[in-house]
Amino acid sequence: MTLDSILATRRIVLCVGSGGVGKTTIAAALAVEAARRGRRTAVLTVDPSQRLKDALGLGATSGRARRVALGRGAHLDAILLDVKRTFDELVLALAPSPARAAAILENRLYQNLSGTLAGTAEYMAVEQVYRLAQDGGYDLLVVDTPPARHAVDFLDAPRRLARLLDSRAFAILKDPTTILPAAGSRLARALLGGVLSGLERFTGLGLVREVGDFVRVIEDLTGALRTRVAAVGDLLRSADTAPVLVTAPEPRLVSETEALARALAAIGLRIEGIVVNRALSLATFGASAPDPGPPDGVSPALATRLARSFADLRVLATRQEQTLAPLVASARAAIVAGVPLLAGDPGSLADLGTIASHLFAGDVAGAPVSPPAGSSSSASGGVRDARR
Amino acid sequence: MPPRLPLATQRLVVVTGKGGVGKTTVTAALARALADAGRRVVAVEVGRGGLGPLLGAPALGAEPVRIDRRLAAAAIEPEEALRDFVERVLRFRLLARRLLESTSFQVLAAAAPGLAEFLVLHRVLGWIDARRMGRPAHDVVVVDAPASGHSLPLLAAPRTLGGLARLGPVADLLARFERLLADPAATLVCVVTTAEDLAVRETIELYRELGTLGLTVAPPIVNALPPRRLAGTDAAALDHLPPAIALHPYVAAARFQHERRRHAEAQVAALRRALGVAPVRLPFLFAPSDTTEAVAALAGALGAAAGLAA
Repeated sequence: MTLDSILATRRIVLCVGSGGVGKTTIAAALAVEAARRGRRTAVLTVDPSQRLKDALGLGATSGRARRVALGRGAHLDAILLDVKRTFDELVLALAPSPARAAAILENRLYQNLSGTLAGTAEYMAVEQVYRLAQDGGYDLLVVDTPPARHAVDFLDAPRRLARLLDSRAFAILKDPTTILPAAGSRLARALLGGVLSGLERFTGLGLVREVGDFVRVIEDLTGALRTRVAAVGDLLRSADTAPVLVTAPEPRLVSETEALARALAAIGLRIEGIVVNRALSLATFGASAPDPGPPDGVSPALATRLARSFADLRVLATRQEQTLAPLVASARAAIVAGVPLLAGDPGSLADLGTIASHLFAGDVAGAPVSPPAGSSSSASGGVRDARR
Repeated sequence: MPPRLPLATQRLVVVTGKGGVGKTTVTAALARALADAGRRVVAVEVGRGGLGPLLGAPALGAEPVRIDRRLAAAAIEPEEALRDFVERVLRFRLLARRLLESTSFQVLAAAAPGLAEFLVLHRVLGWIDARRMGRPAHDVVVVDAPASGHSLPLLAAPRTLGGLARLGPVADLLARFERLLADPAATLVCVVTTAEDLAVRETIELYRELGTLGLTVAPPIVNALPPRRLAGTDAAALDHLPPAIALHPYVAAARFQHERRRHAEAQVAALRRALGVAPVRLPFLFAPSDTTEAVAALAGALGAAAGLAA
């Protein structure tokens, strides 16, 4: 599977990976490229730091699509996922009556807990992806997921919420004494009831009871919500969805990637391709690449300083080789693109275009493209202009 | 001149920052520096991470493992801390286990605002208060807090929960913790960042939020600063090379390192402007950064910034 065919044929691209690898940037660059190729594309981020907002020059709008013009008539929608609003809208859509919906929305705990209760935040993010996939009018959604293990929480959210909706769990929250094996044993029930209220007294947290109230109110939605949750899970596991691992050649990522790949497999998702960000050209700096010696015509002092930089990059390239081999093995997917270590962070659409041009440069296969620094003649501002 | 990282009397050092900036390495280096300066240290990580190997210890557990004469390390799993807490409160082990195994209780625990954070703080406070033979068992606890998005709740927990628990042992504990956090001679928050756009922006945002909590926050620690490889006029000289050698790998490498350094310096300057304080700088390490040797190298730099005599 190449990045070209993923962009051309899939409906959802999930960018997964550890924190700090440039996942958001790669997601945005993929979306820019897809939009330029004529697909109606939206890029979605669930990252609470809202980094995509910066890269795409988004304002404070969340939940709504913000249209970004890419020139030559192409455009891209950028969307920040809004958990609270999605939950509210879901309640309104699924509640049996407007009155019941209002009762839920006004519940004090709903307001506090709708974001934290057992992965509902993650679920609501996926729910929004689902709704956009159903009727957002897009050909392709590029989704930037939360870092590493949280990505699994995010993608597994439908199943976890379904588990929560299990009526037994609800029953327990409504009446905690039902966790006792012998439900009939009145003494045991009284005992546990006493202990629980003791716990409440001890901690001073009046939560046990309040959560019960919350659950009783929201139970109205159970049936409809469960159907929806199943549909969302199916979409994520369908052939329409392509999980793409974004990573970087850094030692810390090896074990994280292994854990992520395993966790994704456990929920029925398979990584379809790996994008290596911040990669150095192994052909130039790799361990088996020749040392060309200093260039002619520079002073001996400068030659010494140039040699140090070359030695720096050789060290980094060697580390990259050692890191990527186990990483690729544990992800069980091929490297589909390499993006060079750019001197600065991308801060504009032009930068995203540059990254996209590297993503689709075609020369990958473990030997990612050469560093861009040498290609920049003016080298001004640390940011290259890729406007075409 | 006072040291930039005031660590002379601190009992609690909380290290935070955006994910992937080397927070755990810096935590290890701070703990090492403090131990080298003669203080008895417990280094703590929340959740499972790489702190153990960085300090040359095997896997860390709930109780501090001794690494050398002055340094011990532990890992706090919030779930385990919850079990510990419930078992202590309930006293009936079987009942406690039963309760903890139920999905619902986990749901409840996850939903209770600040409960997990409270339990982490509870453990940390235990180590700060621990006494052996009439004196504190440890001088200072260094905590590798969760990445920035998650560490604010940790530091805000005394307030979050304080609103809910007004009486009883929990309330007492919270009040005590709030006093500890607010005491500039006892608690220091360190924020680690790299000299990258997004990390710097997130750091500035984090300082703003930490400011509202009334905590003493040290100047930011900028980790992995790329080296300066070119002299003043070199960059201009490179721009005037004949085309034949302009693409030479040495030249490409030098330009690349030059750009990285320039960009990093600009970020450090932006950070300094935004916060009005000079950051503490740590070098990028070309040797693998996840080793005890790397920690020792960084410990030296941090010890100097803290004015600690080895």
